[in-house]
Amino acid sequence: MSVLEAVSTQSVAGENLTGEAYRDAMHRWLHANLPASFRSDSAAFAPPTLQQSVAWEAAMYCAGLTGITWPQAYGGHGRSLREHLIANQEIGRLAMPESVNSIGKELAGPIILAVGTEEQKRRFLPAILEMRNTWCQGFSEPEAGSDLAGLRTRATQSGDGWRINGQKIWTSGAYRSQRCLVLARTGPLEDRHRGLAMFAVPLDANGVRVRTIKSIDGRESFCEVFFDEVEVAQQDAIGAPDEGWAAAIRVLEIERATNRMYRAWRFENELRHLISACKTDTALSAMVADRHYSVRLGEVAVEIEVLKAHVETAVEALASGDKIGARGSLAKLYWSESHQRFAALAIELLSQASLPQNPAIKVARRRFEAIYLAARAETIYAGTTEIQLGIIADRILQLSRGK
Amino acid sequence: MSMAEGLQPDEFAATAVRAVTACAGLGVREQAQNLAGDGLLGIIADEEVGGLALPLGFAVPVIAAAHSGLLGFPLLETILVGRLLQSSLTRLAAAIVSGDKLATIAWQGEAIAERDGGLLLLNGSLARAPSAASVDHILVRMSGGAAALIPADAKGVVVEDAAGLDLTVPEHVVRLEKVEVPIGSILPAGTWDLLSSDANVLRAAAILGSAEACLALAQEHASTRRQFGHALSYNQAIRHALARQKLGLESIRHAITRSLSRDGGPVQRDAAFLAAVTYGSSISEGALQIHGGMGFTWDVPVHRHLRRIRTLQVQGDASGLISTFGRRYVSEVAPFAEAGA
Repeated sequence: MSVLEAVSTQSVAGENLTGEAYRDAMHRWLHANLPASFRSDSAAFAPPTLQQSVAWEAAMYCAGLTGITWPQAYGGHGRSLREHLIANQEIGRLAMPESVNSIGKELAGPIILAVGTEEQKRRFLPAILEMRNTWCQGFSEPEAGSDLAGLRTRATQSGDGWRINGQKIWTSGAYRSQRCLVLARTGPLEDRHRGLAMFAVPLDANGVRVRTIKSIDGRESFCEVFFDEVEVAQQDAIGAPDEGWAAAIRVLEIERATNRMYRAWRFENELRHLISACKTDTALSAMVADRHYSVRLGEVAVEIEVLKAHVETAVEALASGDKIGARGSLAKLYWSESHQRFAALAIELLSQASLPQNPAIKVARRRFEAIYLAARAETIYAGTTEIQLGIIADRILQLSRGK
Repeated sequence: MSMAEGLQPDEFAATAVRAVTACAGLGVREQAQNLAGDGLLGIIADEEVGGLALPLGFAVPVIAAAHSGLLGFPLLETILVGRLLQSSLTRLAAAIVSGDKLATIAWQGEAIAERDGGLLLLNGSLARAPSAASVDHILVRMSGGAAALIPADAKGVVVEDAAGLDLTVPEHVVRLEKVEVPIGSILPAGTWDLLSSDANVLRAAAILGSAEACLALAQEHASTRRQFGHALSYNQAIRHALARQKLGLESIRHAITRSLSRDGGPVQRDAAFLAAVTYGSSISEGALQIHGGMGFTWDVPVHRHLRRIRTLQVQGDASGLISTFGRRYVSEVAPFAEAGA
């Protein structure tokens, strides 16, 4: 924990700060407080422990960098989506660890805000922002991946509450979470999207078992979660059956366009890191200056600019009161595929470094090999590429399926 | 109060669509009169020369509509030249804005100047000049990013037909042999870069218009053409192909919007053009594929759009620009030093 001893937990975004002054405050706090060992572009990088991540994110919240748009009544900072974008641009410009509670902040929290009871909002939301509760997402199942309407985990009424039986899979971070946002079926399987209900299941409840799965990057970050006669109180049911799922769909549409809003600026940080590392190496500095790689790097840079345009357009639309609807799929599809192309180019370039590799190349290789592997999942989670294409075809283009 | 206050760029789209429709079948000079009558030639030019003095963003829907409707007139060049000349050659600018004089730009090549007393003599071979055979003046690039406007009928100017994909607004080669130009009429260094930057936004708009038309045609065909007992759009391969085209189209649109925003600069303008070339080509070629044999006929205008998009790609030197874009990025980044900045 020593690396975080000097981190300020004071709010830096006074209510009167707006525009560039707000940006400047966010920028200064991040640069003054982010430990070098948390920066994956640093030779001192050491992945933060869970406790360190929790403490860091709690400090970010106190500083005004998370919960930006949530109402102040529930612990949020009550600011606009445009200010959320500004803060995220600054977050993206640093090689910072990903949140260990993004499900809480970007999925569970917004859903609870949309359909939760007043009691749930006061109980759950501040705990998410203060990092007292970390959440995971219990949607996918062995027989229901992209097709959530086919999920089989069942919730039956039991006295004043519910009893849940079933299995979830690909549940990122379940082993470290206190709550799981579980989607379960209250009616027969034939009901498909009807009769789906959401629950905030405490993962220390009797009958919950979590098993980690080793994944492509060697880490054990996602899990299987088994529910065996798990009793869930009514007060942990999120919305009425049907309502919870309908709200989730609305929230997912928005989140798909706005979650991890810093991505384009993080990709830019990655591109600048890649080039700066290449410039320390004789062979690579010649390569990035030649036409072949300048064209390919230029293509990456253009895609980053276009991604920024997608994000900013979505923010402006939402800030102006428009509904984002299925258009969130456009941004998701764009960032996930463009990041994969970029990551592949990065490891291709770095693999051609001179020998012996200098420290800057070693730092970059470590970072980009991790990014490359992680990026392979980006066209799968949060709705696969094929699902996004289907949404665009069905709901934006409204293509006929007529026989 | 400026003209821009209270107006929105999209309000000009409907006007442009009507004007483009009215231009069908007319000669280039008649088209100029029509377009000028609707204020479209001077949309970004100063009021002193008869323009509307609107920001560049107002020309975007106009250019998009012109290209969607396959307008056979060098509108992009006319709009830019009218504004370019408004300070130095005011009367000529006014004549261009009013449609009385026609102008174009030779996008490729550079004129070599030699001094002869108070005159410059220009030599060289330039190309990619849309409709040059039909215009009164041709803007050419000179060394150092300067530019010169040359009367198309001046002694030593030869305009030749050129092979090119775009048959709607055909390109020409312009050969200059000791063409006399007064030194005072040379537009200063830096002119060309500013012109190119604005042109890239408008080229992106042009491609957006063509790409929108192509996607609409492909969508219509996929929904009505039946094979194997189903509409083409029944098939996932077709649905996903069209969805990708829609992603490309919205990417062009958003990139243009960003390039014109408060944060937009030369980088964003170049990016908008480069994105438009990439996605516009893909959309038009994809639309051709979905149309099958019909796409190769003159009953379906998809290939005409494809021709224009590929022509705009070369006029904007997309191949050189993407390399420059990458090099610029590389040059701005310092060699790695330990984090802390």
